[in-house]
Amino acid sequence: MHERLSFYIKRDSLLHRLNPLTKMTLVFSLVLIAFLSPYYWTPELILPLVILPLVILAKISKEYGLTTLRLILPTAGVLFIMQALFLPGESQVLFEIWRFDVTQASLESALTNATRIVVMVSSFTIFLLTTHPSEMMSDLTHRGIPPQFAYVVISALQILPQMQAKAQTIISAQRSRGLETEGSYLKRIGVLVPLVGPLVFGSLVEVEERAIAIEARGFTSPHPKTFLRQIPDTKFDRITRTVLIALIMITLGLKIWLSLN
Amino acid sequence: MKFFDEVKKDFNTMTWVLIPVAIAINIVMGQIVSVLRLPVYLDSIGTMLVAAICGPWAGALTGALSNTVWGLAINPDALPWWPVALLIGLVTGYCAKGGLFKSWWKVVVTGFLVALTAALSSVPISFLIYGGITGGGTGLITAFLVESGRGMVQAVFASSFLVEPVDKITTAMLAFAIAQGLSQRFLARFPRPENVVSEMGENRNQLYIAIGVVVLLVVFAAFMLRTLVGG
Repeated sequence: MHERLSFYIKRDSLLHRLNPLTKMTLVFSLVLIAFLSPYYWTPELILPLVILPLVILAKISKEYGLTTLRLILPTAGVLFIMQALFLPGESQVLFEIWRFDVTQASLESALTNATRIVVMVSSFTIFLLTTHPSEMMSDLTHRGIPPQFAYVVISALQILPQMQAKAQTIISAQRSRGLETEGSYLKRIGVLVPLVGPLVFGSLVEVEERAIAIEARGFTSPHPKTFLRQIPDTKFDRITRTVLIALIMITLGLKIWLSLN
Repeated sequence: MKFFDEVKKDFNTMTWVLIPVAIAINIVMGQIVSVLRLPVYLDSIGTMLVAAICGPWAGALTGALSNTVWGLAINPDALPWWPVALLIGLVTGYCAKGGLFKSWWKVVVTGFLVALTAALSSVPISFLIYGGITGGGTGLITAFLVESGRGMVQAVFASSFLVEPVDKITTAMLAFAIAQGLSQRFLARFPRPENVVSEMGENRNQLYIAIGVVVLLVVFAAFMLRTLVGG
C-alpha cells in the first residue's frame, strides 16, 4: 500500500472517537461563529477557550504546534503585517514604518482578520489531525453522498504523493540534461513545457487501465453497496450536533438583530 | 429532466478515474510553478482538461474536490476558495460545449471568460474571509493599489483582473495542448471527445485572427482596469 498523504495522527481520545460528521459540524460552527459574530473579541476568545482545550483533549498538542509553526503562523502573520500596513484607516496614526502609516483602525481590523484566519485554519487542522480521510468519506457515504465522491477524494490522496515523486524525478532528469530551471522570466516559462508534458501524459496513461479495473469490481453497479466498517454515531454525537447548530443560529440571530437596531 | 440527463452524461467510469488524476495534476502543477517562481498559479490545468473532455459538471466537481483535497492534504487555507475552482470548471465546460475549445484563438477566449469568472468570484471570498488583502502575491498588488490612493473595493477588483487573465489563458492553452496530444482512441472513451476536435487545418487566417483577438482582449482588459481603478 502506498502511503496516504494526510495530517491524520492515530491516538485514542474523545475527539478521535467522535463521529466525523460531529467533528465537521464543530469545525463549521467554530468558523461561522468566528466570522459571523458581531463582537470583535469573539475570535480572540475562541482561540484560548475552545481551540486550545480541544487540542489538549485530542492529545495532539505536538502536531498542532508544528502545524501552527509551519502553516498557521506564516499565513496569519503575513496577513496581519500586510493589513496593518496597508488597510486604509482614517483614525489616529500610531507609528510609521518607512512610508506606511499604522493606524489604530488598521491595526484593529488586521488583528481581527488574522485571528479569524487562525481560528479557521486551526479548527480545520484539529479536524484533519483527528479524522482519517477514509473514515470521513466512509461516514459521508453512509449518509447518502454518492460513493464515487469517496473514491475520488481517497484516490486523489493516494495518487498525490506518487505524482509529487514523479514530478521531482522529471525535474531532476531534465536538469541533468542541462535544462535551466533558474534564470529570466521567459526562460522559466519555457521550462514549463518539458516538465508538464511527461508528467501529465505519464499519469494519464494509467487512467484507462484503472477504469477497466474498477469497472470489473462493480464500480458503476446501481445495486446498494455494503460497508466493511461501521462508524459509530452515538447519542452524544447527535446531541452535540444539535447544540452546535443552535449556537450557529443564535450567533446569526444576534448579528441580524444587532444590525437591525 | 433534460438537465439531469445532461449532468449525468458527463460522468462515466473514465470520468470518475480521470478526476483524481486531474486533481493531483492541479496540485502538483501548482507546486512546480511555485518552485519555478512564476507569477501565475496554473493550478487548474486538470480542472480545465476534465471540463473540456468530460463536461461542465465533471469540471465543476473536479474544481471543488481539488480544493478539498488540497485542504485535506497540504494546507487547510485552500478550502475557502472552492467556489472559485468550481466555477472555473463549470465555465470551461460550457465554453468547450459551445465549441470554444477547438482552436488556439477560441481557447484564448475561453481562458479570458474563465478569468473573468474567477476574478469576480474570488472578490467576495477575499473580502469575507480575509478582509480584502490576502496573504499571497495578489494581496501585494491589492495593497500597492490601496496605498496609492484607490478605494479598497476597486483595489481588490483591479488586482484580480490583473492577475487572472494571464493565468487562466495560459492554463487554458496548456489544457488544450494536452487534449491535442492525447490519442483519438483514448479521447473517444470520455463523454465529450468532440469538444476538443481541432478545426485548425492549414488556414493561416486562424493565426491572424488569434493575434487580433489577443490584442483586442488586452485592450479590453486595459480599458476595464482604467474604468475600475480610475472611476
